[in-house]
Amino acid sequence: MNKISNPPVPGIGLTAKYPEIGTGPVDTAIYHDPAIFAKEMEAIFKRSWYMIGRVEQVQKPGDFFTYELPSFRQAILVCRDRDGTVNAFHNVCTHRGNLVEHRASGHCNGLFTCRFHGWSFDLRGRLAGMRDEEGFFGADKSRLGLKKIPMDIWEGFIFVSPVDEPYQTLTEFLGEQGVDTAGYPWGACTQSYQFETEIGCNWKLAVDSPSEVYHIPVLHPNSAAPTMTASGNPHGRLLGVELKGPHRTNSHYSVLAEPKPVQKLAYVHAQAAQNVVQQDLEYEFPKGINPTRSPWWTVDLITFFPALSFTLSAHMYTAHQVWPLAANRCLYQQRVFVRPAQNAAQRFGQENTMVEFRDVVMEDLSTLERIQRALDTGQIKQFHYHDHELALRHQHKAVTDILALYDREQAG
Amino acid sequence: MQNLPAGFETLEKFADGWVLPDAVARMTRRQGSSIEEIRGFYDAMLPQGEAALAYLRQYPLGALPPEGERLLKLMLALAEIAPAVEWYNGPQVTDGFPVQRIHYLRQIPDNIAQA
Ligand code: FES
Ligand SMILES: [Fe+2]
Repeated sequence: MNKISNPPVPGIGLTAKYPEIGTGPVDTAIYHDPAIFAKEMEAIFKRSWYMIGRVEQVQKPGDFFTYELPSFRQAILVCRDRDGTVNAFHNVCTHRGNLVEHRASGHCNGLFTCRFHGWSFDLRGRLAGMRDEEGFFGADKSRLGLKKIPMDIWEGFIFVSPVDEPYQTLTEFLGEQGVDTAGYPWGACTQSYQFETEIGCNWKLAVDSPSEVYHIPVLHPNSAAPTMTASGNPHGRLLGVELKGPHRTNSHYSVLAEPKPVQKLAYVHAQAAQNVVQQDLEYEFPKGINPTRSPWWTVDLITFFPALSFTLSAHMYTAHQVWPLAANRCLYQQRVFVRPAQNAAQRFGQENTMVEFRDVVMEDLSTLERIQRALDTGQIKQFHYHDHELALRHQHKAVTDILALYDREQAG
Repeated sequence: MQNLPAGFETLEKFADGWVLPDAVARMTRRQGSSIEEIRGFYDAMLPQGEAALAYLRQYPLGALPPEGERLLKLMLALAEIAPAVEWYNGPQVTDGFPVQRIHYLRQIPDNIAQA
């Protein structure tokens, strides 16, 4: 929020900057057709990388966390070894397939021991102990270590690939968007909340949900709208949209509206990590953060195709991830990252940030199963996108372009 | 028995019902309360908010005395219920996605030192 009088109202004309993207209504089949969904899994999701956590979750040698990739049902174990290297394994015991580590996170003093028959593996995944080894017909222990899963780290985020031979490297996958947004103080927000919910909708509807703010005055009348629409932006228009290959960034406009009483306590007296731009930033925005450099900037929505987005402001960010489960079902995951509290009062600011954000998300998600019903019943066959819903039009085009390319690839 | 730091006597009667273990318990408490009850808590807390934060600012997390920790938890409950009063005039998000369908996988502990 910025206290500047008479800011200009953002204009129409975002879509016109990208003539290849078109302006007509789009076909909704990709939002509900099971055959298209099956193809998306092959052409898009098996070829993508997935953020599963941050390096701060495995701060010290022996620290670990486990994770199950929702769309692929693969169990993963991430730990830091004695050399300080972060390793990621399939969390599957090489004896007969039980989980090696069943806890969500913790510290391991050097050996992960399977709770089925007691095989144990060290922090580098090597099979260290095979109980009653004599009965295993001379099996070669050196070949029975935990299987590594392709893993790479970007700005402290741990990414994995669900296939043994990734279609591209993580750096290639993140593309220009990854280069342009590196250098933001991602690691400074050491504290995080995480929640998730299953939604009866196509994954793209959940990705679309925060990707346009045309809905703000109507869907968020008392929560997000006051700052977004104050001072003459009644339709909640964006400052800008940048398309970068399949990735994109929306830059949001706000001006300071009078906060509600508890908000005021949080913002003024507890340094809530609200979307407040402070002039005295301790870092410089990389090129891809706040790309318009507008004085009315507050938030970017930074999207990595297909389904990872960061709602990011100067001092905090959230990470939305959508995991496809079926043509009309997905898992929506949200992490809210804030800076550490310097004192007990700032703990209140953190909680205010999380609660406000969560309730706004509840407003956003309210529409998704209703839209899916209209899609599944054939009651809506086309979507009409506003100029400032460009991100959705771009997502639609990115998906259909990749599917067309995949068809050609398959045809040989 | 005194549950809260000196100066916050008017809030004593809320300590039983609104000092809760974590964010999930606070969310559940809000969902299970009437807006009248929530508003009663809000109206009592709001005038004390600045003073409570001034008190809390003196302590790093993890170093609060027990009565200070209870005051912090009342403030965290205020954070949870504020939108019910300020945005929705009801415990739930108006016409919203049911918050009961949300599962928390990680929370920030209420009173542990952060770095
Ligand atoms: S499956 Fe792990 S020891 Fe048997
Ligand atoms: Fe929204």
